[in-house]
Amino acid sequence: MWDAALVALERFANPLHLGMLAFGVLAGSVIGILPGLGGIACVAILLPFIYTLDVHSAMVLLVGSLAVVHTSDTITSVLIGTPGSAAAAATTLDGHPLAKQGQAGRALSAAFLSSLIGGLIGALFLTLSLPIARPLVLLFSSPELLMLCVLGLSFAGFLTGGAPLKGGLAACLGLLLGSVGSAPADAVDRYTFGQLYLIDGIPLVGVALGVFGIAEVIDLLTKGGRIAERISLGHGWLQGVKDVYHHWGIVVRGSLIGVWAGILPGIGATAGAWMSYGHVVALAQDRENFGKGDIRGVIGPESANNSVEAGDFIPTLLFSVPGGAPSAILLGALFFYGIQPGPRMVQENLDLIFTIIWSFAFANMLGAGLCLFLSPVLARLTFISFNRLAPAIVITIFFGAFQSTQHFGDIYAMLGLGLLGWIMKQLAWPRAPFLVGFVLTHPTEQYLWLSISRYGMEWLLRPGVIVLGILLLASIVWIVIGKRGGKEMPGEDGGEGKVHLGKFPSILFTALVLVVVSTALYESRNFPYLGAIFPMAATIPAILMALSQIVMELRAAPIASDVESKAKIMMALGYFTSLVLFLLLILLFGFGIAAALFTFAFLYGWVKMRWSYALIYTGSIVAVAELMSRLLNLYWPLGIVFSQW
Amino acid sequence: MNRIRLKTARPIGKWFSVIALVLALVTPALGAAPHYEGKTIEAVIPFPVAGGSDIWIRTIAPYLEKYIPGNPRFTFRNVAGGRGIPGMMDFALKAKGDGLMVLVSSATNYFPVLLGDKAAKYDFRQWKPLLVNPVGGVMYASPASGIKRPEDLAKAKDLIYGGISAIGLDLIPLISFELLELDAKGVLGFKGRGEARIAFERGETNIDYQTTPAYNATVVPLIKEGKAIPLMSFGQLDDSGNIVRDPAVPDLPTVPEVYEKIKGKKPSGRFWETYKVFMPSGFAVQKILWAKADSPAEVFRGFYGAVDRLDKDKEFLTKTDKVLGGYPLLRGDRLEKTIHQAFQIDAETQRFVKDWVSRKYRVKFD
Repeated sequence: MWDAALVALERFANPLHLGMLAFGVLAGSVIGILPGLGGIACVAILLPFIYTLDVHSAMVLLVGSLAVVHTSDTITSVLIGTPGSAAAAATTLDGHPLAKQGQAGRALSAAFLSSLIGGLIGALFLTLSLPIARPLVLLFSSPELLMLCVLGLSFAGFLTGGAPLKGGLAACLGLLLGSVGSAPADAVDRYTFGQLYLIDGIPLVGVALGVFGIAEVIDLLTKGGRIAERISLGHGWLQGVKDVYHHWGIVVRGSLIGVWAGILPGIGATAGAWMSYGHVVALAQDRENFGKGDIRGVIGPESANNSVEAGDFIPTLLFSVPGGAPSAILLGALFFYGIQPGPRMVQENLDLIFTIIWSFAFANMLGAGLCLFLSPVLARLTFISFNRLAPAIVITIFFGAFQSTQHFGDIYAMLGLGLLGWIMKQLAWPRAPFLVGFVLTHPTEQYLWLSISRYGMEWLLRPGVIVLGILLLASIVWIVIGKRGGKEMPGEDGGEGKVHLGKFPSILFTALVLVVVSTALYESRNFPYLGAIFPMAATIPAILMALSQIVMELRAAPIASDVESKAKIMMALGYFTSLVLFLLLILLFGFGIAAALFTFAFLYGWVKMRWSYALIYTGSIVAVAELMSRLLNLYWPLGIVFSQW
Repeated sequence: MNRIRLKTARPIGKWFSVIALVLALVTPALGAAPHYEGKTIEAVIPFPVAGGSDIWIRTIAPYLEKYIPGNPRFTFRNVAGGRGIPGMMDFALKAKGDGLMVLVSSATNYFPVLLGDKAAKYDFRQWKPLLVNPVGGVMYASPASGIKRPEDLAKAKDLIYGGISAIGLDLIPLISFELLELDAKGVLGFKGRGEARIAFERGETNIDYQTTPAYNATVVPLIKEGKAIPLMSFGQLDDSGNIVRDPAVPDLPTVPEVYEKIKGKKPSGRFWETYKVFMPSGFAVQKILWAKADSPAEVFRGFYGAVDRLDKDKEFLTKTDKVLGGYPLLRGDRLEKTIHQAFQIDAETQRFVKDWVSRKYRVKFD
């Protein structure tokens, strides 16, 4: 085995391989930074090159780019609270408040370093487990995988902050949103309203960009000024390095959680990152600062989201079963070279496996190094007036959302969920459980379905299930004790500058949620057998929680909505309307012209930038967007105006 | 493979050569370059990047570029999701009769039509096949099920099969179980055939199938370790549309052969009719590249000619062997009739199969 490792290592002495690696890392880093664009976009750009290379160079290029996507996607998560990819959403929770406190440099360097270590631990684990990986994977049957998913869902309980009822409701809403589309066994389409778009469910990218991205952008715009409210006091990135050193236990545990989330089919990077975040909160002695800028909340998810990809290589290479979209693409590329991964892979293509492992390890180092090098510069973005950054960010978010399935439904969904996310934020509804619920709906339901239809009720008696059940019970008890002990303070995000919507809107929103979940329950009566279990499991508790929430709110003391807050609400709604207008412009004139009109109108008309600067800004934005469209093969529909001709 | 070739050693051949000569002199005078010269062909793929159909077209496209007169360039557009329906509709609405937009289709696109899904508003009769690539499927069982040979299937108890969806390719193994009257049940909801195979390996299921390339790479090693018993293939079609042994696994009997062995008579009945309707579109003509039927004849000639030349290209044959699954790339015109027949279903069989899947596998049709 070690010979093959050395043979593969020797290949990196070849300048072609090194060049490919550098090119891959560069492409992956740039694409990772752009919100919404992840591994799939990377490969779409690199694919034409891949088809001309030999298999080793192609793997170096591909793995090089895929390995660093989750390193650089942290940048926008921390700086503007907009996840660079769905897996980085967990990092926004604490990373972004740190940036607001002027500690962007610290958050970034801690994130990159834990990403790097996570990636290396992942690569090491991958190497050591090669001989025993197959039996290891076969140890987990559907019932055990189901229990792991439920355990992951229970972690949402740690993410509710001081508002357990609202958090529980949010998790149920996430589960409900996740059950939109065809049920796992394709027996029935749920909540699709006859729309083909909804058959596959709402894409994760759209949900993450809406609930976290759009909501944050509107909030930052309303707040006005710069992202960083204070100028940095500490020693920026050096402090981040010290933090990682200090919390090395979190890094190791987070990486291992990530590796396992990658190895087990159906869990994936996003759920892995959230589970790691959840475990950090669960094990913390003091939880007051989570959600307000605790560095541990950055280290946890970041150490997990790179190692997930390493873990994912195990099912991909040894079973020919990809865990996530990036590894599906890797598998496709291997097929192209006539290599079908499977049990014989270790005997026949061991050197190729090591090429992949080495590429992964080197790419992690290179990517983290590149990002660390850039972080002081990038951190300065938080000292620029946000108004000026906004058009570029809005256009990238729209671009990223559309790219995931190239359907306008993505953009409608993102805007709708953006409004939902913003309201949740204003009313102090934690959004983390919402996303956790959404991400885990599919695997949980799939494994529940498989367990029941394969084993009936006997699955509950399997030893693995019992062990995991005890763990689940312990986790629930732990949550309850934590809440009782008052370890937590309310609020998900640092409360400064928050708009208070007042008592009446708060009750109105809860009532609306009640109506939605009740309708969903009523609708589920038509679903056959197992197809109805999940919607019911999400809606029945949600109705009870919503009712008690309304009672609680009716009893609470009224919050006066002052004049300033009212002005801010109007302003936020105004910004939201401008996003809707941008969408209308796209529908009318196509993406290019709409982006130009929107950027110029925003900068010249609203921000009062000088027209010459505004014009240059607009020109460069449109040029970059057009170039990216070409590279990604993105087909924006012609506007209505032009398709008439 | 047998190919139809123009033989010029006949008396009529002289006339042909005269006409050809005249044409050869006239066409340059009219300034007509090859149809595809300097053109780009856009291939619409109703599946995601790096899926089976995506890899299939991307792998063969560079060779088509080389052999189609005028050397057109290929670009690819994936319109994924919605059971492939949006991608098919996209082609149906946007393609013109110029051969500059082509469509890749697979079994997923045929079953909605066969099952009468109202959302699948595309009509295959308006298109003509350019290329066809068959795929095969092989069933195997676990030794723990007590099965040693295909004949043992009849007395095997509690067979459990893992599948993705009762209205996808799994329909064919599920129909086979009914046809052979096995004590088997399908557990559906797996995310892919690979996950279903993992479930087989860990003993959750005991009967499974894989497409031939996946079978060769992932199941043959299990067979050698004694962890799987090969049973039968779904078969392929011969030139007159009969189900025959799969050339990729010639040693294995087909499903109808196993029926004969178990029951001692030729297969018949409702499930046999259903099998004959669904097997061809699921496997025998699985991957098809289409152009609009009203495209100029040069479009079709270009592709057919390219297939003939690819058949002799050593590099193509060795490099694409795995992607093509060990089956030849076939000219669309040779299979046009078979294909259009494969997409026909009589109302009675359709009602029967819909009734059966909704009863047994709780599928809800709108």
